[in-house]
Amino acid sequence: MRLSRRSAWLFTLPALVLFIAFTVYPAVSGIALSFTDRRGAIGGTFVGLDNFARALSDPAVTSALRNTLVFTVVSVVVQNTLALGLASWMYRQPRIRSIARIGTLLPAMISLVAVGYVWSFIYSPLGGPLTTLLKGLGLQSLSRVWLGDPHTALLAVAATNIWMYTGYSATIYLSGYLSIPSEIFEAAQMDGAHGWGMFRTLEWPLLGPALTVAVTLSTIGALRVFELITVMTNGGPANSTQSLSYVIYNESFGKLHFGYGSSVAVILLLLTVVFALSLTTVLRRREVSL
Amino acid sequence: MTTTTMEPAELSGHPARDGRDRPKRRALRLGHRASASLLLIVTLVVLLPVILMVINSVRTSGDIGARPIGLPHPLALGNYGDIATRMGYVRSLLNTLIIAAGSIVLVIAAGAPAAWVLARRVRRWTRAAYRLFVAGLTVPVFVVTTPLYLLMQQLGILDTYFAAILIYASFNLPFAVFFYVSFLRSSPQELEEAAALDGCGPLATFWHVVFPLLRPATATIVIFVSLAIWNDVVVPLLFLTDDNLKTVTLSVYSFVGSQGTVSSAELFPAVVLASAPLIVIFLVLQRHIIAGITAGMGKR
Repeated sequence: MRLSRRSAWLFTLPALVLFIAFTVYPAVSGIALSFTDRRGAIGGTFVGLDNFARALSDPAVTSALRNTLVFTVVSVVVQNTLALGLASWMYRQPRIRSIARIGTLLPAMISLVAVGYVWSFIYSPLGGPLTTLLKGLGLQSLSRVWLGDPHTALLAVAATNIWMYTGYSATIYLSGYLSIPSEIFEAAQMDGAHGWGMFRTLEWPLLGPALTVAVTLSTIGALRVFELITVMTNGGPANSTQSLSYVIYNESFGKLHFGYGSSVAVILLLLTVVFALSLTTVLRRREVSL
Repeated sequence: MTTTTMEPAELSGHPARDGRDRPKRRALRLGHRASASLLLIVTLVVLLPVILMVINSVRTSGDIGARPIGLPHPLALGNYGDIATRMGYVRSLLNTLIIAAGSIVLVIAAGAPAAWVLARRVRRWTRAAYRLFVAGLTVPVFVVTTPLYLLMQQLGILDTYFAAILIYASFNLPFAVFFYVSFLRSSPQELEEAAALDGCGPLATFWHVVFPLLRPATATIVIFVSLAIWNDVVVPLLFLTDDNLKTVTLSVYSFVGSQGTVSSAELFPAVVLASAPLIVIFLVLQRHIIAGITAGMGKR
């Protein structure tokens, strides 16, 4: 089909208009807003980098930045490690692969809001299932006020996030496994490769594309964490779980500090772009060199 | 774990082909079976919170308080009736369906033809447009919420279905374009060329040849976008503050949030009502959902 220049444009136009009007334009005008002192309907004067200077010395923002990074690193590392193990396990069990995949993927289909409420209940110190379970095992000394203790709250939320999305990442790794021709595995087995050695020399390199996709997606997802935190801890205790998205929401829609909130949003955008670009660059180069 | 006890009896039905290898083979097979059983147990453990959610939804608060882990006693099915009315469940279900349907129609009507051009016509501008859409996959929602709020205010459509539909359609276009383009790149072009030789114009070719070809991709996109919209709380929280426009997820959020300390007998039915339709859809259409999740793995 040879599309004329005109019809090519006409076919692309609706998508471009929709995307530019409600995603690209807001993103660009958000960046513009971050250089102003706009509050609600008032203000809007250009103030240069003032908002950014203020944000980087604002303890709420710096702790949100730290929390977001800790949450992301913990979630991404643990989730992908577990998912890789799970996928390799499912690959070796073709008969129950499908049921295991459905079962472990199911948590990702439930809304973050519902998951947040259910896990708040699981973590609750008074008669929560986790506390009861630890007591039943004689381990009550390990019991904590999981979501009420600044030392554990952020990790408890991260654990919920990991529970929710490990099956999702495992689905990606499993499809990576399934795209490897089975003759390669058979040949390696003939040569006596097995276990960790086989994983290191064969599976790990061949899973390159799956690793790129799973790590990048889980990173982008973790960096924007908002719902679980709002539902489970509301940023507390002592601001120990505030994320960047949470601070943006609070500044822009709680206090109507549109300019300042937007500057935090730009920081989040930069962080996401830097992470996404460097991850895909590093991981793709690794794919190619193999 | 007691799961290996049944294995030897089952195994004896399969004599090993080579006598010498029998003990080794048997040990291997036993290990394989044990590992399979363990994987099933792990799957079950992952599902425990979901099972807990469903069981607790039909227990009374007193029952849950007395025994945090346990089966319903008595069975409190009545939990549901009351909650559904207080949450305005039916209304919120209808709102979610209207918004999802509107967004999906827009995403497909705009995304499919654009993806066809981006996949088939390789020019500098199509490559740039494709990259722009793919970049959209990474933008965190809170980067655009404030300007979108101001924009919707200017357009006078805050607190209307239109606001949510336009936003969702725009947010989900990158995934649709990306998915359609990778689908088209791995599909043959001959049919389209044959249609052109038969004198079909671009529109007729798209409608009679390309769009039907895209059907499996369209199905995946419909399900994926529905999931994203059903589960989202941010857009309705900011753009649909009118009680009559609430989506299911937002109505659970505001129902639980507004009650202060909500009782277990209220919380769990609400959460199940919010999740059950999606769990059912997932179980029925999981093939499409898995296709959507693994979309990035194809040709890039």
